[in-house]
Amino acid sequence: MIRTSELTIGYTHQLLTVDNVQLNTSELYFLIGKNGSGKSTFFKTITGSTPCLSGKVLLNKQNVSSIPLATLPTVVSFVGPHFPSVDFLTVEQYVGLARTPYTNQFGRLKDEDHKIIQDCLSIIDIVHLKERFVTELSDGEKQMVAIAKALAQQTDIIILDEPTAFLDYSNKTIVLNILQQISIEMNKCIIISTHDIDMSIELGCSYLVVNKNKKRIQLVNSPVKKEVLLALAF
Amino acid sequence: MTTLVRHRLILTGILLLTPAIAALHLFVGQIHLSIDDYWNGLFSFDKSSVNEIIARDFRTPRLLMALIAGACLSVVGLMMQTLFNNPLAGPYVLGINSGSSLFVALSIMTGVPFFASDFGLIINSLFGAFLFGLIILFFSRIVRTQISLLLIGLMLGSFISAFVAFLQSASDAQELKVFTLWALGSLQKVDFDQLAYIVPIALTGIASTFFIVKPLNALVLGEAEAKLLGINIKTTRLIIIILTAILTGLVTAFCGPIAFVGLAVPNLVRILFKTQQHLTLIIASVLIGSIFIVLCDILIQLLEPYFMLPINVLTSIIGAPMVILFILKRLK
Repeated sequence: MIRTSELTIGYTHQLLTVDNVQLNTSELYFLIGKNGSGKSTFFKTITGSTPCLSGKVLLNKQNVSSIPLATLPTVVSFVGPHFPSVDFLTVEQYVGLARTPYTNQFGRLKDEDHKIIQDCLSIIDIVHLKERFVTELSDGEKQMVAIAKALAQQTDIIILDEPTAFLDYSNKTIVLNILQQISIEMNKCIIISTHDIDMSIELGCSYLVVNKNKKRIQLVNSPVKKEVLLALAF
Repeated sequence: MTTLVRHRLILTGILLLTPAIAALHLFVGQIHLSIDDYWNGLFSFDKSSVNEIIARDFRTPRLLMALIAGACLSVVGLMMQTLFNNPLAGPYVLGINSGSSLFVALSIMTGVPFFASDFGLIINSLFGAFLFGLIILFFSRIVRTQISLLLIGLMLGSFISAFVAFLQSASDAQELKVFTLWALGSLQKVDFDQLAYIVPIALTGIASTFFIVKPLNALVLGEAEAKLLGINIKTTRLIIIILTAILTGLVTAFCGPIAFVGLAVPNLVRILFKTQQHLTLIIASVLIGSIFIVLCDILIQLLEPYFMLPINVLTSIIGAPMVILFILKRLK
């Protein structure tokens, strides 16, 4: 669960204010807004990469700024917009890196970790990709692998920055449906930033909208109408 | 065959190959030595036996320096490639060796007796490597692309070369000779007694790298992702730069700047093992790096009757084309 309280975000000067919102587990939220409106900054703030300018963010009732760096990845996982292109890194090794916050000093994976990795690969239905190098994956497969990695991190909160950006129509549908399914069945709180408004609206989720006039992020609960979203955000 | 089994097989293979090649190295010199000469030279040294002197004071240090230089430079190259997310990084191309060179040049040519001592030489070399490690780290925070960082490294190298050339023109013939011989690189400048501290420093440095296997594995994804996985980036960066300074500085102080080993060996290792698991990569870099330099030195000894080939010249002759091959392969 994520709660924000009197939150303002930005780097040196204030970019946006955020309404006091509560985002629950078992729910999927979409974050929409113009290019450069501060969506990524919002994500960086709630994942603890960038400090809050004022106010606070609570992740599972803990203030994000007071969670130690080493345990933060056990609370929130983040899937960035760019999939790393690294030579000789297999899908299995890549997903295994999600276990980093749980392993010992030498990063050795235990049997339990291997089982979690296998489980996550089978939940996303990509067990067949595990021996493949990440550089050999298609864009759709990359996104699936990135989601499997986020799952292997075993966090209540998963944040994805434009996971559908480079995908074709069918892959967009698959990715969004899988994420919704995960949020419900595995009790995750998932936030996705996207520009695919038409497609996302079919899932019937709530929206976080960067209000273009008020420089503010507000929560629009489901059911939402596309016209309302467009009027607020664009 | 699973990946793990394949890795263990290759590792066992090179683990067996290393002592075999090392043994070969001991017996290729122009003067033939027997096993007894080595045994006696090391354990019941008789100063009147020429063969034992050669075994103890020339061949053994030369072999150990070859092993150490290869292992240290390769591990450093591996760490830098991972830290900077750049397969073409290495202590030589990023100007770390040059940093050592500059301070060694200063120490040789300033004429201050402390600087010219062994201890002064190491300290200067370490300091130069550390300073230029910090400089390249600073630039890596600013520039965004891999190529820019390499170009900056090369420019630092040129800048230092110019500065060193200036120092050379201002120094006397004796100093010039000492520095020039040092700069060509040699595995023969170490005597038996110096090994007493060179070996422990090198082994400690290499062993320390095993403690940063976990951060290195995560750093493969880039600093931002590694940080999101809970890795303390600042500490890791500092540890890598310190280890780089110690290992590069040590080797450079005694063997001169040895080019391309740190760049080429980790790339060879990655191609051979097809993995990003740094435990495997470190062990393999140590072994293959050692084998590489020992083989180079065997070749040098075989060619000795005809001409003297400095180690730095040979590693450049082999290493530079290899690097061009890597670049071509990546651009395809």
